[in-house]
Amino acid sequence: MGGRKRKATPRVKTQRASAKHKPMSVEKEKENPTWIYSSLFPFQNSPSHRTKRVGQLELADHHSTLLQGHRHAGAILGAEETATDPEVAARINIGFPQLKESRSAQLKARLEHLKAQRSSKELEQLARTNKLIIDLDKVQRTYVKTTGQHDLRLLADHYGIFEHLFGSAYFVPRVPLSISYEVDGDSLAPVYNGNVIKPAEAAKAPQISFDGLLDPITGQAAGQDTYWTLLATNPDAHYTNATAECLHWFIANIPNGKVGDGQVLAEYLPPFPPRGVGYQRMVFVLYKQEARLDLGSYQLADADYNNLEKRTFSTLDFYRQHQEQLTPAGLAFYQTNWDESLTHLYHDVLKSKEPVYEYDFPKPYLADQKFFPLKQPFNLYMDKHRDQKQVNKEYLERKLAKTHPFEGPEQSLRFPNAHPIRDVPSWLKTEIRKQRLGTGRVQDY
Amino acid sequence: MSRSARPLTSARVFHKIKELSTPQTSAAYVINRNPRNLERLRIAYKPGGYHLEKPGRSYWHTLEINTSGRYVSADVKHFENGTILSASTSEWAIKQQLYKTNDTSAFVNLGRVLAHRCLQSGITEMTCNVDAVPGSKLEKLLQTLQDNGVSFKEPARLANSQPWDAKRHEKPWEISEESLEPTAPPPKSVK
Repeated sequence: MGGRKRKATPRVKTQRASAKHKPMSVEKEKENPTWIYSSLFPFQNSPSHRTKRVGQLELADHHSTLLQGHRHAGAILGAEETATDPEVAARINIGFPQLKESRSAQLKARLEHLKAQRSSKELEQLARTNKLIIDLDKVQRTYVKTTGQHDLRLLADHYGIFEHLFGSAYFVPRVPLSISYEVDGDSLAPVYNGNVIKPAEAAKAPQISFDGLLDPITGQAAGQDTYWTLLATNPDAHYTNATAECLHWFIANIPNGKVGDGQVLAEYLPPFPPRGVGYQRMVFVLYKQEARLDLGSYQLADADYNNLEKRTFSTLDFYRQHQEQLTPAGLAFYQTNWDESLTHLYHDVLKSKEPVYEYDFPKPYLADQKFFPLKQPFNLYMDKHRDQKQVNKEYLERKLAKTHPFEGPEQSLRFPNAHPIRDVPSWLKTEIRKQRLGTGRVQDY
Repeated sequence: MSRSARPLTSARVFHKIKELSTPQTSAAYVINRNPRNLERLRIAYKPGGYHLEKPGRSYWHTLEINTSGRYVSADVKHFENGTILSASTSEWAIKQQLYKTNDTSAFVNLGRVLAHRCLQSGITEMTCNVDAVPGSKLEKLLQTLQDNGVSFKEPARLANSQPWDAKRHEKPWEISEESLEPTAPPPKSVK
């Protein structure tokens, strides 16, 4: 046993060594991507784990004379191999730090404020009569400057934003983003962090504002020109590559937070979640640039506006390439699902047919068919194990045989159980009753 | 085919289950990576807990309220990810506008703030296993949450109906909001 264990360790160590190459940068994933993503897709990776494990056992066979309990030994080796290296799996903060103001000064100001609150007669009156209604906007304004940033980071993790955009890196969004779509009329659909906005509301580019003159680290005025990049991507919208994103909007070199003056590299494309796919995420990430950048290679030509292949994007690759000049500073995201306005977008803008999807449920487990299945209704048992296409065909043929070419299907019985079914075996009786009541497989046709 | 020809071993069962649960990779399939999508579509796994357990564990999101001698805090917890949303009267953003941090108006305003954050983050359905005495501050907090758009009823998990089942469920992703408008005809039942 001990011998086998020793044989297994060097393999793990080599993997560690290759991943250790550059510990404090996002680069490290590139060198060993399967190691990082192995936990994401357990089913896809399990075959490779399986083969690895078998190989190791063979190795152990050669070098060890002690071989009792294959399964047990395999379990031990497998556990060792799938164990995540804490150093590799550790997440890296790629965002801005924030300088804290002096705690004593802050405490002094706060205590003074609270003392004034407690001595306020009007406030006491309101509180005691349960009429005190605090201003939610003011709460929100203070919240995004204090604990809200960290809460947003947790929530973005809950929505898998960092995992799918930046791999094992994350950031604390220091710059609050205010994004809102103008819905016809004068109502607004604001983007917060995970709220649902329908594609009909998101048809036009949203209004974006943020305080570009503030320095995210100190929270004071920067004193010089600042440049920002705004990226809107959808990590769930790519049809062919599940790990890629769809680029919806790309504005670079935004001077001092004036989004209108930025260099538009990709025009705004509205979200297009297909029918049946469910809710997709649209993520807005704001980066602060060190200086003016030349990102002309990302320029999307006007002719390619609706070319989804050209809009393939990977935030991780983009960030990896420009990490010296860019630092993520702001985050906002919403969820969106299909609505009827998308038919128009697919036909007129994307120039394609509108796809319709359905969730692919895992198929049910059926034990191998037995020659003599005991205590099983033979017709139902056989139907489960026959070719499903043949079963469907028979049901459809039976239905069409009873359908008049001009007058349509037969009228259903008003009281289906009141008509006696005579001179048929009991299994057929059940089948006829199910057909009359419309339960079971007849519903599918 | 017969039992004697191929005995049913656990390895074979495992092989079959793995084959059935491997995601398809053909171009006809797309993958939605949004981890909250299946919860919204009522398909995602939801723990069952034990049937004699109280309070139960069968939820995706649940509300937890902690009161201390001075403050009150309300957290929304996910069964896997733990606390994902929280509001507390000890937060400076809330505390600075209150008279006291654990009186009735503090509870009510905490409910308003948490409901606002729930709406902003798209998590509006959760279970609530909090037992509140009728007329208490806690009950007012729960009522304020419900009045401001949070629902304490989480939908049940959608069972996958098999061809041999008697009934077919209505599929949530086939119902759009337009089809639910009173002027539009009622949604076509799945036949």
